[in-house]
Amino acid sequence: MPVDVERAGGRANRLRSTATSGRMVTEYWNNLFTARERGQQVLWYNGQKVNVFAQAAGLAWCHGEAYSAMLAARHQEEPAQRAADARGFMGELCSYARTHIGCALMSDTADHVAEAGLVGGPVVHGDLPLPDFTISAYPGCSSGQQWDETLYRLFGRKVPMFNVSIPFLWGNHGDALAGPEWDEALAYVVRQFREMIRFIEEQTRRPFDWDKLSEIMYYIKQAATLRTEAQELCAAVPTPASYWDWIASIAPVNFLPAGPQLVEYFASVKAEIEQRIAAVEGAVTGERYRLYFDGIMNWNNLGLLAKKFASYGAAVIAGRYTHRAFWTKPHLIDPEDPLPGIATHFLLCPLNHSAADLIRFTLEDCRKYHLDGVVFHVSRTCRSMTSPQFLIAQAAQRELGVQTMMFEGDVADASFYDDALVTMRLEAMLEAIDVQRTRVA
Amino acid sequence: MATQTDPIPPYVMGVDLGSNTAKSVVLDSRGELVAHSVVQMGAVSKGGVRASIAQTLEQAGLTREHIARTIATGYGRRMVEMADRTFTEITCHARGAARMMPGVRMVIDIGGQDSKVIAVDANGFVEHFAMNDRCAGGTGKFFEVLAKAVEVELDEIGPLALRGSTEAQISSMCATFAETEVISMLAEDRPKEDILAAVHNAVAKRTVGLVNRVGIRTPIVMTGGVAKNPAAVRFLERALDVEIHLPAEPQIAGALGAALLALDDLRAMQRASAERSSAGPDGDAAGDAAVAGLADLEADLLDRQIRPDPAHGPACAHCRGAGSFVPLSIAPIDPR
Repeated sequence: MPVDVERAGGRANRLRSTATSGRMVTEYWNNLFTARERGQQVLWYNGQKVNVFAQAAGLAWCHGEAYSAMLAARHQEEPAQRAADARGFMGELCSYARTHIGCALMSDTADHVAEAGLVGGPVVHGDLPLPDFTISAYPGCSSGQQWDETLYRLFGRKVPMFNVSIPFLWGNHGDALAGPEWDEALAYVVRQFREMIRFIEEQTRRPFDWDKLSEIMYYIKQAATLRTEAQELCAAVPTPASYWDWIASIAPVNFLPAGPQLVEYFASVKAEIEQRIAAVEGAVTGERYRLYFDGIMNWNNLGLLAKKFASYGAAVIAGRYTHRAFWTKPHLIDPEDPLPGIATHFLLCPLNHSAADLIRFTLEDCRKYHLDGVVFHVSRTCRSMTSPQFLIAQAAQRELGVQTMMFEGDVADASFYDDALVTMRLEAMLEAIDVQRTRVA
Repeated sequence: MATQTDPIPPYVMGVDLGSNTAKSVVLDSRGELVAHSVVQMGAVSKGGVRASIAQTLEQAGLTREHIARTIATGYGRRMVEMADRTFTEITCHARGAARMMPGVRMVIDIGGQDSKVIAVDANGFVEHFAMNDRCAGGTGKFFEVLAKAVEVELDEIGPLALRGSTEAQISSMCATFAETEVISMLAEDRPKEDILAAVHNAVAKRTVGLVNRVGIRTPIVMTGGVAKNPAAVRFLERALDVEIHLPAEPQIAGALGAALLALDDLRAMQRASAERSSAGPDGDAAGDAAVAGLADLEADLLDRQIRPDPAHGPACAHCRGAGSFVPLSIAPIDPR
């Protein structure tokens, strides 16, 4: 008999330790907005985690996707998207790119932007400094490189750009970390890193600080190890932390500066999770369903979705975005020889795998975390993430018998989201899970 | 028909408040259909649902006091004031269709606002489902918009489309863009029959996409208002290359499923109450245990409901065997 999902009455019980992430993020953006005052050069980069090189080179850095996501999460993205639309960047294009490009356009014209040196003043509580140079490092996504090319032209070609090309992993075991495909891809990316570092040295007019890079990677290795250990603890029932807690912890492991504070953050997250397991305290009160979330976050509706799922007693426990990206194999990071480990993680981006790999990853996570269903966020402007979703859904249904649901939305464009449809589909999936349990019983 | 002197019988009601119509169904305690109604209205109209409930009760000779349990479904399910619980259309259409056509394995429901394809297992449970995305393409709304564009009443578009040539194509599934395509075809003086055939073909193609997502399985039953459009069914049959079965009242499948769920609820409560009263001082605990055991009860009930009636073949009203489709009233659930 299906349970009356509407009346489950659950609520989210977020990790208290993740509140620190918000403060760290605010501090990071404030530092970036005031970088010029300290005489720092500014790097804009898109795609993979180039920030580790920027930090080692003493730069301030802006990750384009993170900036757009931040605006979307604060519901401040629309003016920038309108500005981009007015210049012909239509709504079907990557909304991260549209928002970021729109911020640049909001300072009137490229010439004006170049003179002013600031963009986005009306949008955020601070001013995002223009880049001195840009780096693109996109795996599995063509939009990223076109995005940077657009910025390059927007800035009147006065802002130098370097592109790191990351080959797509075509094989069915792209994470095997061995074999000709992997060896060639890894060597290719490492070679480009060395060229990129020469490019950075040309722009900064000082030698790259390799010792600093080793130190950064030391902290990232420690933090990422704690993060993956903490995530694996969430196989516990009830889960002590949810996907939404890992979303709150994306910024620290994605683009914030690496240092002791990063390690402390994930140590505190892991400690709280251990405490919760000991106390049998769940991330959702009255956990009744355990779900997987496939897709990039819908940043416009982060709080809404977290509360919605929790209200049904649905604990979203893991996801492709949170559990298959961002330094997921810390044991492969060697601070003394950092480039191969960094290249490994650039290649292992979840956009850069064959559908066969993604199916395998999803099924592994469903088994590991004892999941009942998979939620697919079909992001309208991120085709890279969405293209294999039907195949993953079919495999999850066929191989594991788990229920699936799909809802449309977007990473940063609120206009693609319809809450009534999400509610209906979620309730239908939960009812189907109830029925399935009845059958098994 | 009930009279004022009868003891209050435990009737149950299912209400489906959709985007265009309100449907309600009353079942008696044996699960037999007592009355039903379909009321056309505005979008999720409270007035519409009240009218439907009133009509059904009047037809049954009952008042609200006779209804022991009500379950609502449909987009407006939370607006149904007398509902005790709500379920989604997915669960209710599957349940209703399994009752209407024993042995059904796939339900295609094209409603006013969305299209659903539901895979049903051998026991009548929802296995998986797929729905259209948030655009109106492939839904009843698509037909409405395009019927208006060709200035034909909605209930006339099906017969006209069946007379049309299937050569014309509408490429867009966006209702707005499709409307401009239709206007272009009218400007070219294309016959309305051909244009409407193209419209139906486009919806069929869209629905095939949903069917393929779930994985085709037969027998297929079609529910929802669009099932009453013969061209919609015919074009879809042609696109899928399978026979689609139609219940006599495809629009009430969701409300019927809701009513069956209400009946399950009622029986579970009665059973729990009986066990509580016979369990002495620990009656409450026994009652709770009984409620917790609803899963078994549900499985048993469903098993009884979907068992094919050997007296009736698999044919349905749509496919030549009018009258051989298992009528609602002759597949009763055994009273407990």
